[in-house]
Amino acid sequence: MIEAKLPQASLLKKIIEAIKELVDEANFDFTESGIRLQAMDKSHVALSFLHLRDDGFREYRCDRSQTLGINLNSFSKILKCAANDDQVHIKATTDNAETLMVSFESSGKDRISEFNLKLMDIDIDSVDVPDMDYQATVTMSSQEFARIVRDLSSIGDAVTIDATKQGVKFSASGDDGNGSILLKHQKMIDDEGTSSTSVEITEPVSHSLALKYLANFAKAAPLADSVTINLIEEAPVMFEFKISDIGHIRFYLAPQIEEDNE
Amino acid sequence: MGIKGLKQVIADRAPAALRTVEMQHLVGRKVAVDASTSLYQFLIAVRSEGQNLTTSDGSTTSHLVGLLYRTSNMIESGLKPVYVFDGKPPVMKGYELNKRREKREKAEESLKNAQEEGDDEEMLKQMKRLTKVTPEINEQAKRLLKLMGIPYVTAPCEAEAECAALARAGKVWAAASQDMDTLLFGAPILLRNLTVPAARKLPIEEIHLDEVLKGLEFTQDQLIDMGIILGCDYCDSIRGVGPKSGYELIREHKGIDGAVKVEKVAKGVPENWPFDQVRELFRNADVSDCSEDFAWEKPDTEGLVQFLVNEMEFSEQRVRSVAAKLEKAAGKGQQVRIDSFFKVTAKRAPAKGASKGGAAGNKRKGAAAAGGAKRPKK
Repeated sequence: MIEAKLPQASLLKKIIEAIKELVDEANFDFTESGIRLQAMDKSHVALSFLHLRDDGFREYRCDRSQTLGINLNSFSKILKCAANDDQVHIKATTDNAETLMVSFESSGKDRISEFNLKLMDIDIDSVDVPDMDYQATVTMSSQEFARIVRDLSSIGDAVTIDATKQGVKFSASGDDGNGSILLKHQKMIDDEGTSSTSVEITEPVSHSLALKYLANFAKAAPLADSVTINLIEEAPVMFEFKISDIGHIRFYLAPQIEEDNE
Repeated sequence: MGIKGLKQVIADRAPAALRTVEMQHLVGRKVAVDASTSLYQFLIAVRSEGQNLTTSDGSTTSHLVGLLYRTSNMIESGLKPVYVFDGKPPVMKGYELNKRREKREKAEESLKNAQEEGDDEEMLKQMKRLTKVTPEINEQAKRLLKLMGIPYVTAPCEAEAECAALARAGKVWAAASQDMDTLLFGAPILLRNLTVPAARKLPIEEIHLDEVLKGLEFTQDQLIDMGIILGCDYCDSIRGVGPKSGYELIREHKGIDGAVKVEKVAKGVPENWPFDQVRELFRNADVSDCSEDFAWEKPDTEGLVQFLVNEMEFSEQRVRSVAAKLEKAAGKGQQVRIDSFFKVTAKRAPAKGASKGGAAGNKRKGAAAAGGAKRPKK
């Protein structure tokens, strides 16, 4: 038996929107301590991790660990049937369940809708991500991140992220020209803690990344006020969006490198 | 060509070994492409009203059209192909070559008859049978690849054996060939349909050797033995043994030596059957030491125009647009894959009601009972 209740459907909607761009189907691992998901896109270029802690739910129960394979597009369609402030209730009644029950209760408690989503057996490639000591950690507004990705996508296919003591620079170039955006490191985080950028750094790092993936990651911006970008030479770049009181969603993106064979 | 029925045995017994992929999912992968089966595919498939494309004086250009477009698609998708051409045929192949010569003679005769009777469909069928990759076609293909900035090598002997060796040596990630015997040569990953023209819309198949052996519960030597029994390019097959019985024979008797002692089988064994020599040919194929490094370079646009437009009568606009694509791809940073940093392990869902003849796909739960509910595709 698995049961989880969230006070607001909008949260789950946003989470699914943020991962369904990368993969069509994903395995959700339900355990005592919460829900985890790992998904890698078919090209093996990007990776997403979701962790929702049990204590972040209004109610959470998982008698025995279970993996539920879910078609994210189908799930997203069902979630579209919920109003943003509906309470969501998901339930799988048996071990090795064939369907997931999803129901929504309106805030006035006068409307209850119920859906059953067929589950799937999904072959996935799983990835072991080692702990890494990142050389640079950039914390910035998630809205700002989404805007930069959008703006630079009109210039080129890839963005180069340069993290230095002074700040972080995003630059792109294309057939028609080039452009860059510099966010300066602010020593003091202002009261809201949202609008300013901080760069913690042991060594300057630079990576070139495909913008089409970053545009997917930017879909997670509504989930968190800020995003943390973690960079290290010779490894994928990690983007973390902390979802308040319940967990986080992380994306890893393998960089593009310049050819060394000339 | 290839091994009769091997694909079916794998689909039945080791469905987890088969996957279908789209070209763009192979971003960043280096692949050794068997040029001879590729060029053959292009000659067969790139046709207009049943005829090969030609220049005004009748030289065939189908292979160049196929090679140009398919290869540039690969490069645009971030794939890195290295083409491998056949070297000298192995001595053993005399058998297959003789058989092919006989077939050609027969096809020529049938073609003549069909022409007399005006049977277009039969004519096309026979013409396809007469298709042959000539040395001239190979030379033109090499010239085109060089101009496109794509590396190629000539194998000491069989191209698919060299492709397999390059993949085993880690020089490339996979071998691409239509020939299933590439697996017998030990290619860890075989890609099929990589070089069929996009218009045919055949999905690219990825076959994993380790999963094949696991599924069949075979050693590599047993896989080779089964391939020989089913029928390969180098000797006759045993009469009366098909994919199913061939698999079971090797399962039961662990190899050809035991299998041919079975009375029923012994009767079907051809005279002068050099199975041990053929076995050796697969086990210790004549391949290079795989020490060469490959480089993908920018295309020579003016050279392409000279060759394809001035000599082969291609449309200049099209050639220039392909060259521009190649140029752009060459200038772009190479996308790295997650697997080059982190360890990736394939986790397979238990093969519940694995579909017959199809690659393993994700199944709706309870779909087997409903019958035929397929994984939704984009």
